[in-house]
Formats: sequence, structure tokens, C-alpha cells
Amino acid sequence: MYGLAGLPLAAAGFVGIVTLLAVGLVFIITPLGLWIIALAVRSAQGLGSLHRRLAAALLDEHVRAAQFRPAPGILGWRRGVLGDPVGWRAIGYLMLKLPVAILGCAVTVAMLAYGAILLSYPVTRELDGSVFRSGSGAVRHGLSIAGLRLDSWPAALAVSVAGAGLILLAPWAIGKALMPDRLLIRGLLGRSWTSERLQDLQETRARAVDDATATLRRIERDLHDGAQARLVALAMNLTMAREELAGHGSAGELARTRNLVDIAHQQTKEAISELRDLARGIRPPILDNGLGAALATLVTRGGVPVELSADIPVRPSAAIETIAYFCAAELLTNVARHSGARSAAVDVTGPDGLLRMTVTDDGTGGARPGDGSGLAGLASRVGTVDGRIGIDSPAGGPTVVTIELPTHA
Amino acid sequence: MRIVIAEDSAILRAGLVQLLAMRGHQVVAAVGDARSLSEAVAEHRPDVAVIDIRMPPTHTDEGMRVAIALRREQPGLGVLVFSQYIETSFAAELLADGAAGVGYLLKDRVADLDDFIDALTRLAAGGTALDPEVVTQLLNAGRRRDALAELSPRERQVLALMAEGRTNAAIAAVLAVSERAVERQIASIFAKLDLPPSETKHRRVLAVLRYLGL
Repeated sequence: MYGLAGLPLAAAGFVGIVTLLAVGLVFIITPLGLWIIALAVRSAQGLGSLHRRLAAALLDEHVRAAQFRPAPGILGWRRGVLGDPVGWRAIGYLMLKLPVAILGCAVTVAMLAYGAILLSYPVTRELDGSVFRSGSGAVRHGLSIAGLRLDSWPAALAVSVAGAGLILLAPWAIGKALMPDRLLIRGLLGRSWTSERLQDLQETRARAVDDATATLRRIERDLHDGAQARLVALAMNLTMAREELAGHGSAGELARTRNLVDIAHQQTKEAISELRDLARGIRPPILDNGLGAALATLVTRGGVPVELSADIPVRPSAAIETIAYFCAAELLTNVARHSGARSAAVDVTGPDGLLRMTVTDDGTGGARPGDGSGLAGLASRVGTVDGRIGIDSPAGGPTVVTIELPTHA
Repeated sequence: MRIVIAEDSAILRAGLVQLLAMRGHQVVAAVGDARSLSEAVAEHRPDVAVIDIRMPPTHTDEGMRVAIALRREQPGLGVLVFSQYIETSFAAELLADGAAGVGYLLKDRVADLDDFIDALTRLAAGGTALDPEVVTQLLNAGRRRDALAELSPRERQVLALMAEGRTNAAIAAVLAVSERAVERQIASIFAKLDLPPSETKHRRVLAVLRYLGL
């Protein structure tokens, strides 16, 4: 089956991809050329996975698909496609597949067709026109090959047996003929060792990022339900103690006790406030209500007025929201501390598969990674999920920092 | 006052009940989740409900959802949202239907019992009790900053204290001025915000809402 089905698909794929590539090369001097080539690479990848699935279904040849992970954005997509080894290997496969498919198809057809013809020889020799005259002049039916005359029943039977042999041998021979194809599929359509490793690393890294987020959330909850609640309860008890003391006489001892309780009361309030800042710094619980809600509070906390606009149609994963939140927090701290800006703006949008956050200020500019502004730390934080950070901060300002994150790590 | 408390932490719940009892208020029900709160309010018809934001099952914003629902269903009920955090988006949601009978305070504020009881009393009477942090946040988020540009620094101070829900006497005490002086400031604020004299209490709420950019 595969030997037969493979050929038309291979031919179509070969012609299609070669055409696209050729057109793309012709147009390479125009902006369109790269797009056409990217389209060719992407189609090759699609065709490759079609072949891979066909092989899995008909040949029982299972290879793990290599995944395409484009960078965010349409240009990122093109760059991702053009730089994607999976696509180029698929093109290689489609180029080599055609001769291999011809071989496979030829062997399949030859083995089965000749087998069928020979098998049916005892019947068909009477029907077809192959006749010759024997030495005695009698008209005989049958083939005469290299002087060997196959006209007797035993001879016809022998031919038939040979045909049966061919058919029985066909699966083995076809299997052999498809071997190059299998090797190509394994080599070019599956994951290479590095791509497999890369994929494993990406998956484990995404898990690690998610785990870290979950851990932060758990710590914040434990603090909220544990230490924070306990401290508030302590403050309540001290409040009650003060009330009790207030109702009593004013001996010197009582005054000292009241003083101690007052101090403890004050310390508790400070502890509650410090612990709240700590817990919020670990992971603000309002993130459970979405990045927009969390940013709404964040932008009110700095010294500079901040205009917030958030349009996030599809909620990113918790890890991405957390990263985006802390990036915004860090950038707004920079604005307040270093930029000398009088106002700033945070703009968050979520075009498909992407979270794009822009923090703009009207300060003095000149911000760059490594100047103690924490920008380098941001870049590495964003890098853990393959996000990107762009800093545009000419001397004299304004500063525009753009952060792009995939919505799901 | 008759009060219903919804707070999932057992020690805080017990502490609140005790504190309020000390000042002679009656806690008619103290529950640990949002659903029991709705039932308790329906059953007891309290003057004020004190509501924790994070409660079971999800521990995110259950309390806030019930608080908003209760405000719509029972206009006379004072609702105090009581939390470890002040979030701008919650404050804006809570005040979307007006500031009458709404409170949003940090839990730490129970440490100052007089202020806390004051806040509850105001809520029961249809007043407002906003944490100073709520006021700061909403102001910083301020969409109508320019409308307030004409106010003098002292007038802004008075307006901020009004936004927290304080009476003229309380404002006078905080600013260490006479109540007459506060009244003059307030009249000037109303004039600058272009709020014509009508019912005084109503003007107060309007001034606060305008101040908070709502």
C-alpha cells in the first residue's frame, strides 16, 4: 500500500516545494521572496508530517514529531520558520523522497504484477496470442523463452509456482525496497538528537517555571493564612488588653504595663505592615484575578502618575502573568528612581499567542542593561520563557521598554 | 449594632466577635464562607456585614463578589470589606454603585478599636469607611486629576479625610483646627467642584466620588 500511495504524494510534494522555492528565489530581491520561501519551508513541514503519519499508519514506522516553536510576532514567525531545521530537513526529505518513492513503487508493482501474471499462466496461456509451432508442426499455446518452451502442463504449473513464489516474496522485497524510505523518515522527519534534547529541555524548563510560580503562590497563601492572620489576632488581643487596662486605676505598675502593651501594639502593627509588603513581593494574590487587576494597584504605588491600559483578551498562564507583573514592577521602580520622569504609561496587549507590555516614561533616558537599573535581571527573567525585551532609551529620553512574552511557556 | 462576620480564619473570627462584644455590639452570626454569609444576612438582617475577601473554596475574591451582590440586594445594609490587601480594582468595583454604606479597610485597622467601631457605626448609618490606602490608590489612579487642580493643599487634605468617611468633627481633630474652619473648607470645595447646595450629605458623597475619580 505504502509503496503505491507514496509515489503520487511524493511527486506532488516534490513539484510543489521545488516550484515554491524557485519562485521564492526569483523574488528574493523583493520582500515577498522570503515570505514565499518561508511558506515553502512551512508547507514542506506540513507535507513531511503527512508522510510521517502515512508511514505510521501503513508502515508502522513511528517517529516522534519535532515541534515548531516560532518566536512571537509575525516577523518572529518568519524568522522562526526560515531558521527552523525541522522545515529544511523536511524539504530534504521531499527532494530525496521522489527517487526513493519511484523505487518503492516500481518494486511493489513489479513483484505483484509479475507474480499475478505468472500465477495465472496456466489459464492465460490459452487466452493470449502467444503461439509457436513445435518441431512437429503442431500449433502450441504458450511462451517460448530463450528456446525454453513452456507449453506442457508441468511447465505451466512450474511457471505458476514461480508466480506464487514472487507474490509470497513480495512483502519481503517491498520491505527491502522501502528501507531507504524508512531511513529517510527516521533521519529527516523525526527529531534529531539535538532537537529532541532541545524539546526535552524546553518542556522541563516550562515545568520548572510553572512549579516556581505555584511555589510562590503557596508561600504567599501560607503567609496569609498563617503568620499574617496570627499577627492580626495578636493585635486584636493587645487591643483588648489595652481596653481592659484603660478601665483600671493608675498605679505606677499599671502605667508601666500599659506602656509595654502600647509598645507591643505598635510593634505588631509594624510587623503586619512589613509582612504584607513581603507577601505581596513574593506574589501579589490579586494576580489570581488577572494581570490587569494586579497592574491597576501596582501603578498607584509609585511616586509618578502612571497611565494604565490593559487589553488582554486571553489570559496567559500564571507563570507568564507573574513574570509580566514583576517586570512592570521593576520598570516602574526604575522610572521612579532613575528616570526623573513626570509621568509614565503601561500598555498591555495580547495579540494572538503573545503578551506585549510597553512601559513608557518621559524621563531623561539613557537606560541600559548593566547600569544598576535591573534591566539585565529583567532580560534574564524574560529569557526563561523565550520572551524578548527591547529597550529604546536615547539620551534625553523618552524611554520605551517593550517586553514580549509567549502567553504560555 | 447587629453585625454579621464572614471570615475563614477561626482565630480572627473569634477575635473580632470578642472585640465587638467588648464595646457592646451584638455579633448575630459569624461564618467562614461566602454562601453561609448570604444565608446569615438573609436570616438575621444585620446593620453591618464584615466580610473577608479571600474565603473558601478558591480563596481569591469570594468575599468581594458577595459584598457587591449584597449591596445590590440590600441597599440599607452596611458592607465592610476587610482584607490583608487593598486592591485598586476591588475598590473601584465596590464603589461603582456609589459610596453609601460601603467600607473597605485593611485588617490591621482593628488594632485601633475606636476608629474601627467608628467606621462600623458610619456604615450602619449609610456612611462610608475607606482605608487611607484606598483613597491614595484611587487618587493615584486618578482619571480626573485635573478636576481637582483648583483645590488648595489644605482643601485636598480635608477632601481626603472626607473620602475616608470622617465627620467634620473628626476631620477637625485630625488637622488640629476648629470645626468651623473645616466647614469653611468644605463649602469652598463644593464651590470649586461645582456642586450646588442641595442635601448636604448627598453633596458630600458626590464630592468624594469626584475626588476618587469615579
